[in-house]
Amino acid sequence: MLNVTMIELTAYALQVLLIILAIAIVVHRNNGTIIILITSFSLVTASLYIINKAPDVAIAEVAIGSAIIPLIYVISISRQREFIVLDKAMDDFIISDNQFTGVGYILLKRFTDLYHLELNITNDARLCSLGAGRDQLLCEQTNVDLIITKDEETNTYILKGKKSSVLLQKLDSMAKDYDNIEVVQFKDRDFGD
Amino acid sequence: MTKHFIIIILLGVLLAVFTVAMQDIEVLYNTALKSYLIEGVIPRGFVETGSRNLVTAILLDYRLFDSLFEAGILLIAVSGIIWISKHDIEEKNAQFMYDKYKTPDLFVTFSRLVYPLMLTFGFYVIVNGHLSPGGGFQGGAIVASAILILYYIDHDKETNIGLIVTVEKFLYIAILLFASLSIFTRGTYFTNVFPPTASPDVQAIYLVILNIMIGFKVALGLWAIFTAFLKEGR
Repeated sequence: MLNVTMIELTAYALQVLLIILAIAIVVHRNNGTIIILITSFSLVTASLYIINKAPDVAIAEVAIGSAIIPLIYVISISRQREFIVLDKAMDDFIISDNQFTGVGYILLKRFTDLYHLELNITNDARLCSLGAGRDQLLCEQTNVDLIITKDEETNTYILKGKKSSVLLQKLDSMAKDYDNIEVVQFKDRDFGD
Repeated sequence: MTKHFIIIILLGVLLAVFTVAMQDIEVLYNTALKSYLIEGVIPRGFVETGSRNLVTAILLDYRLFDSLFEAGILLIAVSGIIWISKHDIEEKNAQFMYDKYKTPDLFVTFSRLVYPLMLTFGFYVIVNGHLSPGGGFQGGAIVASAILILYYIDHDKETNIGLIVTVEKFLYIAILLFASLSIFTRGTYFTNVFPPTASPDVQAIYLVILNIMIGFKVALGLWAIFTAFLKEGR
């Protein structure tokens, strides 16, 4: 008799917890916390399934709700917070003396800290091997936000990015202090698809 | 702030509607469904299908037609995600300077320990689907999440997403063909291959094979979805 009431009491408590978690997911603002809340929501749901004698559904809920969906969310959010820069110049503009102390790196770091973004610099060989004529296509089709190239004749570094990005206008005004840095913004193009 | 209040009120309305609807469901559950289960599935389920887990008996024998379309829905979802995340430029698996510093060492070491255990548990749930809670779908999801851990251990892991989807498609066709084999032995589609007079132990062979096929199909599908998300960001 006591056991039955205890299980029922647990079920009621878990249901109240479920409502609290649902409201917290809607109200909360921090993305990382929301992922943890969604995970605990599906864990509480799984325990309710077990109380209602549906262990098959509970296993599926645990596997999908608290393993796969949080991983997908974590990846999507961490990618969105990045500012991806493709470094085609590959000289001391970014890395000097084997450390991130180049002129361009300090400028970009100052710029990304302003917007609370994470700076991510890549020099992927396959992307760098694409010709200069396809830079605009590269910006539109991939997640690269900024491309660094070097003009050998005038010895200036050219930063290329999409014009529609509001960030680029701020970067343009920040780069005015430097003589050898030039910011180029691609014109917007209608997408065919 | 008013936005939040509107959302909370909407949630309350939804909850009220759900509670009203649940009262009708309770009547349905107590009369129609319960009589079907008590008179049909529970006394005859093990003898007719060879499955001690009666949920699997319904999923893979009595209502196999519904389960096949559930598996098909996952295939359609995977195809849609792959189609949305398609790009013209070959930009897969770019190597980032910072990526290897992102994941903590403790997490990587712990993942290496947990990975074989998760894989074994997933296969156990798949193969034991007709005896204990679980089955193809649940075990496939566990195997998929074990595979996803690999991406945290090895950052430069290359995956051919096209091959995964192709194998999944052919596996789905194989499941359909295997489920239709019963036309030759029993005269109807989508039920057990072995004749009704066979012992439950023999009939369980069919359940194990179908569970393994569905489990691999689901694992491949979730793997493809995850890989598409991973590549979309790069």
